[in-house]
Amino acid sequence: MGRETLGDKIIFGFLCIWAAVQIFPLYWMLTFSLKSNSEIFGDNIIGIPREWLWSNYEAAMTVGNMAKYFLNSFIVTGCTVILTAIIGIMATYGLTRMVWRGRKAANNLIMLGLTIPVHAAILPVFIVLTNLKMTNSYQALIVPYTAFALSMAILIGNSFIEGLPKELEEAACIDGCSVYGIFGRIVLPLMRPALSTIVIFTFLNAWNELMFAVIFISDSAHRTLPVGIQTLSGSYTTDWGPIGAALVLATFPVLILYCFMSGKIQESLIRGAIKG
Amino acid sequence: MKSAVKRALAVLTVLAVAFSLAACGGDSSKGTTLVLWSIATESDAFHPAYTKAIADFEAAHEGIKIKHETFENESYKTKIKSAVSANELPDIFFTWGGGFSQAFVDSGKVLAIDKYYTDEFKAQLSTAALGNATYNGKIYGSVYSTPVSVMFYNKKMFDKYNLKVPVTFDELTNVCQTFISNKIQPFGISVKDTWVLAMSHDALTLKSAGPEKVKSVLTKQGGSYNDPDFIESAKKIKELESMGAYLKGATGLTNDEASAQFYNGTVPMYITGTWMAGSIQTDTETPEDFDVAPIPVINSNNAKITDFMGGASDTLMVAASTKNPDVAGNAAFELTRSISKYAYLDGAGIAAWKVDYDDSAVNPLTKKSAEYAKGATSFTLWFDTLMAAEDAGEYLALLQELYTGNVTPEEFAKHMADQLGK
Amino acid sequence: MDKVMKNKTAIFLFMFPAALLFTTIIIIPIVMSGYYSLLKWNGFTDVDFIGLGNYIELFTSKSAGFPRTIGNVMLFTAMSVFIQLPIALALALILSRKIRGEKFFVAVFFFPVLMSTVVIGQLWMKIYNPDYGIINSALRFLGLESLTRVWLGDQNTALMAVFIPMLWQYIGYHMLLMYAGVKSIPVEMKEASYIDGATELQITRYITIPLLKPVIRVCVIFAVTGSLKAFDLIYVLTKGGPAHASEVPSTLMVSMIFLRNRYGFGSSIAIFIIFICFFFAILIKKIFKTEVD
Repeated sequence: MGRETLGDKIIFGFLCIWAAVQIFPLYWMLTFSLKSNSEIFGDNIIGIPREWLWSNYEAAMTVGNMAKYFLNSFIVTGCTVILTAIIGIMATYGLTRMVWRGRKAANNLIMLGLTIPVHAAILPVFIVLTNLKMTNSYQALIVPYTAFALSMAILIGNSFIEGLPKELEEAACIDGCSVYGIFGRIVLPLMRPALSTIVIFTFLNAWNELMFAVIFISDSAHRTLPVGIQTLSGSYTTDWGPIGAALVLATFPVLILYCFMSGKIQESLIRGAIKG
Repeated sequence: MKSAVKRALAVLTVLAVAFSLAACGGDSSKGTTLVLWSIATESDAFHPAYTKAIADFEAAHEGIKIKHETFENESYKTKIKSAVSANELPDIFFTWGGGFSQAFVDSGKVLAIDKYYTDEFKAQLSTAALGNATYNGKIYGSVYSTPVSVMFYNKKMFDKYNLKVPVTFDELTNVCQTFISNKIQPFGISVKDTWVLAMSHDALTLKSAGPEKVKSVLTKQGGSYNDPDFIESAKKIKELESMGAYLKGATGLTNDEASAQFYNGTVPMYITGTWMAGSIQTDTETPEDFDVAPIPVINSNNAKITDFMGGASDTLMVAASTKNPDVAGNAAFELTRSISKYAYLDGAGIAAWKVDYDDSAVNPLTKKSAEYAKGATSFTLWFDTLMAAEDAGEYLALLQELYTGNVTPEEFAKHMADQLGK
Repeated sequence: MDKVMKNKTAIFLFMFPAALLFTTIIIIPIVMSGYYSLLKWNGFTDVDFIGLGNYIELFTSKSAGFPRTIGNVMLFTAMSVFIQLPIALALALILSRKIRGEKFFVAVFFFPVLMSTVVIGQLWMKIYNPDYGIINSALRFLGLESLTRVWLGDQNTALMAVFIPMLWQYIGYHMLLMYAGVKSIPVEMKEASYIDGATELQITRYITIPLLKPVIRVCVIFAVTGSLKAFDLIYVLTKGGPAHASEVPSTLMVSMIFLRNRYGFGSSIAIFIIFICFFFAILIKKIFKTEVD
């Protein structure tokens, strides 16, 4: 692939244009966070701010307890991601490689988790959580987030594990490896790209989730960032600048995590090649 | 394998920390703590008033603390409904009077607070003001502000074209016509945020059919919506729409987007609640250019210029499940009294309780609005709050259909009559 | 091998956490919603068992407008499968060819997925704004004044105007999945074909895509179920309006449950969504299975 053909150049050019389109929202969010309502609504919608209102950031940081909300979101999202990844990959293994009756039905049933409209689930899940005495705590969010992310995690896991040759596992088995050993030493490392993808998607969903967080948490000590940001708007009028600023601050952790994890996906190819 | 074990340990540690943190949440300090939910978020105009009112209350009642949790308006509606269903209400909660809270009261989850409405309070807040919080003859909440629908306008633009504030609908169309001939769109409005369109339609209906008829039809106490007076106001909305009196693209604009056009002087008029008086002070560069007026009359046989849409709807209620009904019941009144005062002084809202303090520092727009409210010959609650939720939902949906021309004013009235007759 | 894989304790250990969570948070609420859907209930009081009454109203009532929302959402689903996914696949294949700036492009193409719906919504409202919006400004600049529209407020354009941002936003989502899928295909398989003299297109067509099938299947399932439940951006952009023009089942459901206090009726829409999502998910699985075998 040393030489670039004309086709490659055209493709590259196209990718650059598409990249510009995809970066635009980020640029827009950054400028938006530094403007006043009058610039946002009409005077200067896409340009560089005429007046750089850094005070928007100050407003976003000082209103409410944003640092605390940030920490809460971090705890909730972190636990959700870890639990989902572990439970999801375990179940994936159980559902694809283990042999038991009812496995097929379970594989189909798992997809039910993708079908529920969130708003319809609010009241039933709320009632379940109330009965478990779990509202107003981190668990009130970690548990439903994990449950709702599981279907996605398992499906992604399944699609990747299907591509893995069974021979490696069989060889390990002959070497006297237990089922846990096969899972931990053979399957897990090979599932890295899947795990990275699951982590990214789960993180994204949990970090931005709003409805459950509003309903299940009433106590501001456990409030998460999206709910905190939402309270920046008043009932009749809203100052959008500080909201933009808060959203910038909220988006960065995801951005960083994503860049890190997508790097992992790229690396996995190289590692896989060495191992194979 | 080792790394897997390590990872599992890490997870367990994180979880343990999380759960222990969660366990710290329970407060075991002495005294009584009441939890209050409201939509007075920190960026809301009412927030300072709530904060001061709570401080006053805590100072007056030693040992009682109030924990104020605030939520964003839109999602709060979902939250409060879920909390009623799952029986998870706090001691005191904000809600809207009229049809919105009817089902809450019916479900038995709200405490009647008649016995805490003492003579002291009665002298400062009339029973009439509590009308929207009164269900089946009992008082279920207390109120603090009486916003009304008014017409805000840009004085400077009116002066430029030598226009007078319209008092009748014909004068209003003339004003609109003048602006249109000068290539100015007369009214800012949002159809996407349908409550803004409803504000205009509610008001015109009131000025066409009069307060008694509106109330009796919408609360199903007699009369039909399929009535010439109701058809008339739907026609007027349509008439204004077809002459181009409303901001172009209103069907796709939010209230924020539309009102920005009013604040920056693109459109000269906006019909909304008196709360806009406060926003004009902060969101416009020249608040002195703006003024406020009552909404013009369509049929002077039925309605007067002093009939107003609005009234006390923002309500604090007490949950039936509270462990401290006496404290909470009294607090509902004391808090609303203080909020009423502080919010008025801040220019955020019009006091529902008696003004027995110096209000000379209140901004002129809020003050003028307050005078309108004071001189009101009648208050009619906004249709979407007055009607039961199901009817209100249909009303807002139908209004969009009317505005976009999918249904004629006659069909609109007929559909509404069918809906209310269900 | 089989014996090891039939280890009952191991099966229990692997499956138990998922099963427990899944039953309490997914299955029980579905059953509860199913029960609610048979009630005439405002969510608080007045429980009235009416059997299939809600479902009958769903398909016969003209004022609720449910059948139309199905049409809308089906159109959207078809667009996401036949427009969004092919674009995502093409991008994933191009990027995995070790193209210059691969890392950068993979990162950047995913950005819109990372953004909050609020930001995406506000941005597109600006793009569509009839007055100063980018689209209308461009049309005016080109002298095509007659083509300008109130994109989000016109009943003829509102539906497409909300679909396009949603299709665009999630291209990156599927691209990432497919990209990770391509990356996990062992390189040896491609290299072997290279040596055999196969062109790159041939390798893509005959090696990469068939091996990618399980991932594509998951993408299709996600795209279909995601589209059938789509809510957030529609709600921000048009709230289902004007006059129901961009209404989909989930926006109707939310308005029934939380705006109109018709909890039972809203639940019947929820059950319909669950059913149709599940039906399609199984169907997609079946279609892909026969082709793989």
